[in-house]
Amino acid sequence: MMAIRELKVCLLGDTGVGKSSIVCRFVQDHFDHNISPTIGASFMTKTVPCGNELHKFLIWDTAGQERFHSLAPMYYRGSAAAVIVYDITKQDSFHTLKKWVKELKEHGPENIVMAIAGNKCDLSDIREVPMKDAKEYAETIGAIVVETSAKNAVNIEELFQGISRQIPPLDSHENGNNGAIKLGKQTTQMNRRCC
Amino acid sequence: MGTAEGITSLLREEETFSACLARIDSIILKPMLQAEPYDQKGKENFKLLLLLNDRFHALWDVTEDHHRALRQKFSTSTSFHIQDIYIIWKADLFLRHYIHSQGCRVASCAMIQSHSEAWKNHKTALKQFLTDGIPETSVSMALHTILQKPIREHVQQYSLILTRLSEATGKVLTFACRDSLMPELWGFDNKGDLHLYQNDALRLPERKLLEDSKNLPIFASTGRSDQVLLFSDALVLVQVNYVGAQEMAFCSLSSCHEQFFPLLSFCSPNPLLALCPQAVWQWKLSQAVRQALNGKRDFPLWSKAGGGNEPPICRCFKHIFQTEGRLKNAAYEGEWCWGKPRGKGTLKWPDGRNHVGDFKEGLEHGFGICLIPRVSEDRFDCYKCHWFEGKMRGYGICEYGNEMVYKGYFKDDLRQGFGILEDTSAEHPFKYTGQWENDKKNGYGVWDDKNRGERYIGMWQDDHRHGHGIVVTQSGVCYQRMFHADKMVGSGILLLENDSIYEGNFTEDLMFVGKGKLTFANGFTLEGTFSNKSGQGLQTQGVLNTSSHHQLGLNKFPVEARWWGIYDQFLGFVHSGCKEETEESFTGFHVQTSKELRKSQEYLCCQRGAEDAPGKMEDILEELVQHREPELLHCYLQKVLNSSLHPLGKLLKTLTLAFQATYSGTGANRHLLNMAQEEVKHYAKKIWEFYQGLLHLALEQKGQPLAEMEDEETSNLNAYGMILPLILPCFYPELSMLYMLYHEKEDDLYCQGIVNLSLFSDLKLLEFLDVQKNDTQLFVCLFQRRSLIKDKCFLSATECLQKIIMTVDPQEKLEVLQKTYEEIESTVSRVAGKDYKLPMDDLLPLFMYVVSRASIQHLGAEIHLIRDLMNPTNTGGIYDFLLTALESCYEHIQKNIKLHHRETWHSSRDSRCL
Ligand SMILES: Nc1nc2c(ncn2[C@@H]2O[C@H](COP(=O)(O)OP(=O)(O)OP(=O)(O)O)[C@@H](O)[C@H]2O)c(=O)[nH]1
Ligand SMILES: [Mg+2]
Repeated sequence: MMAIRELKVCLLGDTGVGKSSIVCRFVQDHFDHNISPTIGASFMTKTVPCGNELHKFLIWDTAGQERFHSLAPMYYRGSAAAVIVYDITKQDSFHTLKKWVKELKEHGPENIVMAIAGNKCDLSDIREVPMKDAKEYAETIGAIVVETSAKNAVNIEELFQGISRQIPPLDSHENGNNGAIKLGKQTTQMNRRCC
Repeated sequence: MGTAEGITSLLREEETFSACLARIDSIILKPMLQAEPYDQKGKENFKLLLLLNDRFHALWDVTEDHHRALRQKFSTSTSFHIQDIYIIWKADLFLRHYIHSQGCRVASCAMIQSHSEAWKNHKTALKQFLTDGIPETSVSMALHTILQKPIREHVQQYSLILTRLSEATGKVLTFACRDSLMPELWGFDNKGDLHLYQNDALRLPERKLLEDSKNLPIFASTGRSDQVLLFSDALVLVQVNYVGAQEMAFCSLSSCHEQFFPLLSFCSPNPLLALCPQAVWQWKLSQAVRQALNGKRDFPLWSKAGGGNEPPICRCFKHIFQTEGRLKNAAYEGEWCWGKPRGKGTLKWPDGRNHVGDFKEGLEHGFGICLIPRVSEDRFDCYKCHWFEGKMRGYGICEYGNEMVYKGYFKDDLRQGFGILEDTSAEHPFKYTGQWENDKKNGYGVWDDKNRGERYIGMWQDDHRHGHGIVVTQSGVCYQRMFHADKMVGSGILLLENDSIYEGNFTEDLMFVGKGKLTFANGFTLEGTFSNKSGQGLQTQGVLNTSSHHQLGLNKFPVEARWWGIYDQFLGFVHSGCKEETEESFTGFHVQTSKELRKSQEYLCCQRGAEDAPGKMEDILEELVQHREPELLHCYLQKVLNSSLHPLGKLLKTLTLAFQATYSGTGANRHLLNMAQEEVKHYAKKIWEFYQGLLHLALEQKGQPLAEMEDEETSNLNAYGMILPLILPCFYPELSMLYMLYHEKEDDLYCQGIVNLSLFSDLKLLEFLDVQKNDTQLFVCLFQRRSLIKDKCFLSATECLQKIIMTVDPQEKLEVLQKTYEEIESTVSRVAGKDYKLPMDDLLPLFMYVVSRASIQHLGAEIHLIRDLMNPTNTGGIYDFLLTALESCYEHIQKNIKLHHRETWHSSRDSRCL
């Protein structure tokens, strides 16, 4: 049996950059009956294989509006990874992204994997943020970077695969154990409601 | 004393004795002989009396002879030789007469007892002899005393004079003579008989001699010279093996009496009696034993008693201990086995001490109730406790005569382990809950001073506060610092009501002294030297102060170090193999309240083990094995933890007591939240551990394969996932109070926000919350229509959310939350007329709307309680997400509503104008 690891991933970024669209594309495009019930477009899960493990992404979407900004720490706490999204057609959104990165570095969980997604790459003709800028920036902070299109399903899978690869594998001796526990607790959790 | 004087006193002694014998003869024996016997029995008695008379006169004659010879020698010869003294070289003969006559008196005494009417006439005569302080009990007793006493005194006198003489002459011979004399007197020779009556313990006139091994040999083999005497109420073994051992012989006889009669049985552990007596003896013994057990002295010995011949090995009767030691003079009434108290019984001491309960091997063992009178007052200390080999060990309750009550563990009669001592008296009521060592408070414990309204939580040594300690007061002020033998030492940290913190030295009356640092809630800091009235050398700084959330006790009292006395007992129980009979002594009584316990004294003593008692340990273990499947296990644990009979239930109960003692009342202090929360989680871990321990044991006993050991992570998951929700109700009132206090400020702010929002009409509120962003028309339609009717939107969701405070289990609370979400979504879908998946941007405002309308008072406390205590597997998952959504609503209302305050106010006025 393959070990299942649960990974909390939160999505951050300016409003309207396409966070929710990315999640929708990633989770629902892929035809998978194992998708857990979701809270609207805000919480979704999806399991993907990675090496000899299964990664179950627990995806926490957030509201990008400025007035909700102060609530963000509640959402990204305990995350294994953060997908920070900007709109390649909006310079401002790239600026906001930098602010998110800074905040995560300061207040986010230690060793959080950061992935930068330049969304709406299908609209590259009205691009405001050059690919090069994003790449350079990502390098300085040691983050993954891809340009995506939720609309055309470009690089969405790759984005999450990239995250998977960045997640440090469990120590081999703990490996099987941990997976078993995770399964074990699932059963317990389900069973405990029976009476 | 010179030789001459010695002889003189010897002569005088002989004279006195002679006179005494003459008096007895004329006043007692002569009248007795004159009374003619008229029936068969009387004739037999008369024969004995004649014999007695015979011996009596023989003794008298010998005495007279001796007297005369002595006088003669002394008057004729001037040079005196020790060998001349008659008694020395004729000691044997002389003493035999003594002994014989004495024996006869006793024999006659026993005989007379059955025929005492004949002596009524002589009562007056007897009374003459009874003037010297001998209590008058019965005629026969009196007679016996009269006949025996002068002789005994005479012998004593002899030995005294002989000692003096020997000192005077300094001749070894004298000693040799005297030594050879004494064994004659105390020990036994084969020709003599009943001189044993000298032993006080055996000298009872109502005692009848039933058989003598001289008449009917007791042993098949005649090699033994032991003599056995069977009396109506005692059996006596006489041994003569060791001539020099007078005292020893005396002792062994008396203990013989103590230990083997009436319990004598021939498989007795004492080797002296581990002999097989002849059949007739066996029969007689059995009869005598039966008779004694039946308590009827005149039970005909030769009658056909019903039932078998063997009297039971375990029997019931009363006995007063006479041997030296703890039990001296104590009366035991109850069950015996093999000559020792065993089973149920009552032990009473002359000083009023009284023990009712179980015995084993002659000692208190098992449950018992013991009353011990207090020294000065007319009151008792009442112990209801478990005993182990004569000492208190295990769980017990002691109601002291001075209104104090101790409920907890004992060892070797001292308070040891976990225990609660409560004083309900008016002057200085207190309650201590914690660890005991050597009858004193030692280790971690909680002291409640009810007069001062203070609680000390911390370390103790020999009844003093010693080590780290926390003091919480009713006003909410609390501090943490070091104590040394009840005195405060060094500096500490003092948390004041106004959220300022003082770090430094302070007195018990909370006066600052010496160097210290005072930080105010607004962040200003005073640092310097304080005296009672003023501070000096102050500095100010503007650092944000978070004292309201400052937590005490975390590093000083690690959870593992708290209440280990409770776990220890349980561990002991499991390690000892969960023996049913020890269950209660390890895990405590299952009676729920002390009031009930007081009422149930009888129950505790008599009906224990009846239908009320805890299920058999065997059944408990069996059940454990059969309920291992997750579903069954959950139900099983739920049942068991609620049971006051099951060991796990009892453990939980005790933990609840400890928890309440710490965190209820005065202990409800926000600075103790983390301690409390941590503690509850630790309880869950421990209970799970013990469940596993029990299971392991059960499997082992059944010879089934053992479950493999869980690693720590799995164990924790089970503890928090399964046990915690089950035990949480026990700790919920205190715990939720602590959460409320901890989040008081935030909750106040949030409540203010809710009040502000309540001024909005539904529609305005939705507008305000930007809900209409996408589907304005739709929502406006919906809410306008609804508003007209009841002014309530999302009513179902609101009502659903309110249920969150009705449950205790965090999991159930989370489910309520999910239901609320579903209600919101279904309402939206209904209005939209299609399935509508709410994105976060829309969900959050709607959720906020529902939260504000549900107006749950202590939402912050709720949220944090759920988050801290929920099943850790929920972390990152959907429930966590929902909880976070709720939390963000809470925070949002708290933070942002205030900013919009003015705006709110205006718009609400607007809406009212409409
Ligand atoms: N052309 C194009 N449009 C996109 C793409 N992804 C999203 N959009 C559009 O961008 C708009 C905003 O998308 P959302 O997914 O709601 O953006 P968001 O980041 O979730 O916004 P908030 O939830 O307000 O923070 C929608 O109208 C989407 O259709 C894309 O890859 N290409
Ligand atoms: Mg979105």
